[in-house]
Amino acid sequence: MAAVTPVPHDRPTLARRSGRATMWLPVLAVAIYIAVPLLCSIGYAVLPGWSFSLSAYSVLGDDASLLSAAGRTVTVAVLTVVALLLTLVPAVVAVHLWAPRLRPVLEILCTLPLVVPAIALAAGIVSLLRWGAQQGRGTLPNAISQFVQHPDLPLILVGTYVVLCLPFTFRSIDAGLRTIPLKAMVEGSASLGSSTWGTILRVVLPNIRGPVLFSIFFTTALCFGEFSVAATLSQDTVPVWLFTVSNTDFRASIAVAVLLNLTTWGLMLIGTLATQRFAPGRSGGTGGTGEETSADDAEDGPSPDGSSAEDRTRAHAPHSPTCEQADPEKVTR
Amino acid sequence: MSSATTPTDSAAGARSGGGRLLSRLGSPAVVSLAPMTLVLLLFFALPIGGMALIAFTVEGPSGAARAGLTHFADLTDHAEALGNSARVSLIGATVGAAIGAVTSFCISQIRSRRLDSVVAVLSSVLANDGGAPLAFSFIVTLGNAGLLFSLLHLDATGFSLYSWQGLVVMYQYFLIPTMVMVTLPTFAGLRRQWREANTALGGSSWTFWRRVGLPVAAPGLLGGWILLVGSAYATHASAAVLIGTGVYPLVPLTIASELRSGASTGGEATAMALGVTMVVIAVVVLFLFTRLQRRSARWLQ
Repeated sequence: MAAVTPVPHDRPTLARRSGRATMWLPVLAVAIYIAVPLLCSIGYAVLPGWSFSLSAYSVLGDDASLLSAAGRTVTVAVLTVVALLLTLVPAVVAVHLWAPRLRPVLEILCTLPLVVPAIALAAGIVSLLRWGAQQGRGTLPNAISQFVQHPDLPLILVGTYVVLCLPFTFRSIDAGLRTIPLKAMVEGSASLGSSTWGTILRVVLPNIRGPVLFSIFFTTALCFGEFSVAATLSQDTVPVWLFTVSNTDFRASIAVAVLLNLTTWGLMLIGTLATQRFAPGRSGGTGGTGEETSADDAEDGPSPDGSSAEDRTRAHAPHSPTCEQADPEKVTR
Repeated sequence: MSSATTPTDSAAGARSGGGRLLSRLGSPAVVSLAPMTLVLLLFFALPIGGMALIAFTVEGPSGAARAGLTHFADLTDHAEALGNSARVSLIGATVGAAIGAVTSFCISQIRSRRLDSVVAVLSSVLANDGGAPLAFSFIVTLGNAGLLFSLLHLDATGFSLYSWQGLVVMYQYFLIPTMVMVTLPTFAGLRRQWREANTALGGSSWTFWRRVGLPVAAPGLLGGWILLVGSAYATHASAAVLIGTGVYPLVPLTIASELRSGASTGGEATAMALGVTMVVIAVVVLFLFTRLQRRSARWLQ
């Protein structure tokens, strides 16, 4: 049987050529299943009556409600990215530098939102906001409830989205910090006269730019695509607008949905690739230049000699016991 | 398991952790941990705590509030939604787990490095899908006026996208990639030496899978299936766009509609009780998944 011949991985070994072709069938079937709805949507959007037309996209310029929804979505996304980085990066750096005993606590706290479905969290937030509103005019809870729900600047969405992103981004940044000699960097930088925050900004951040970029793109993608919380809180973001407008102008909603879908996929793709691209080598300073450096990943377990992609996946897998979904970049490394 | 503690417990843990540090108020550690603690408290611990509070509070005969399970007992009114959710998530997860496992087995057998990296990236992107655009693309494809619906004469088969069948088909879009993502390391981790040993001892390919391959892969496969059940059960956005309200009630859709109906009708308390059950199911799913992944990791180290 061909299975016994021990030859390098990237040559067909386990199956003969014909067997290998059979192996492609399920993969192709799934690929077709993934591609068809997307192609149908694109076709429906730009081929009304089987002739090419971008008229469905005129809604982009014409519809003031879409523009305001898009503006709101982008504002929320930008604020969420800023808030996430400002809260998460210092916290993870702090537990790595000064309070290693708190790291498991922070890890659990940041993973917990994964356990709570978005719609359940939205329900909890609604209960809180209603309680605030019921305290009557002029009271502080009422004022806060009004303020955070203001349609021009729905801060409640910003806070909720930060929490929803935490499980994914914490793992990325935590793993990034584990691969660099953080303590030595901070001490070295301090001995050269830099302040703590200056060090974090100029030395630590550039060394975890892969995870930081991943966090930025992942968070943006989530903010652009999130529906449950925004719809429950009656905040008119682009996905909610899609849902509303689909009753009146279905083709326009499909056209925008295709754009939105490709945008979020693209953002996730860039985010995942950024993690691979900038995977830090042991030398610290320079970013990784390709696949080889990810094998250097010091903390995640020894890589077998001449490790192939499969071996690396195997070497990493046992070290990520919690939800793999929480950790897309770990699987892809 | 630590992550199975209730959110409020863990938040209290963080606060007491902060308390230990209070003696060094103003130290960089406190300054850098404070924003995170605040965000988790305001946007996570408080809402979930509030949800649990409303769900477990009932009005006593004298009008005084007391703890009770009335709101959970009232969930029998929503037996249809609970049943539908169970049906869709169990069938969807089983179909997704079967297709996903076969696909990731085949990917592991093809052993093409390029395919591996493409699959790794795509599956992690698609596993996070499930939003509103997904539902739109399926309406265009398989809806009553969908392009494939008329092409394949699906009306003759009685298939409807706006029923459990449609939900199961649509959920595969993120369930299969999730399964592939979770089980690919398992299949890639089956050692060549085990296969060689099996062949050397005169075993057939069938013997290998029955005695070695499947027993080693089983915890990973079961864990993946459980994760898919939880993921399908919690999905709201795409189901909300596809089904809307009323036609085919599901637990997440019922939460949203009960919330809209407002506090006066008691809908809010029902929504909170349903929310609590969702959290409990999600905790159980994550707990079982983590245990099974650890078990699977023992063999694949």
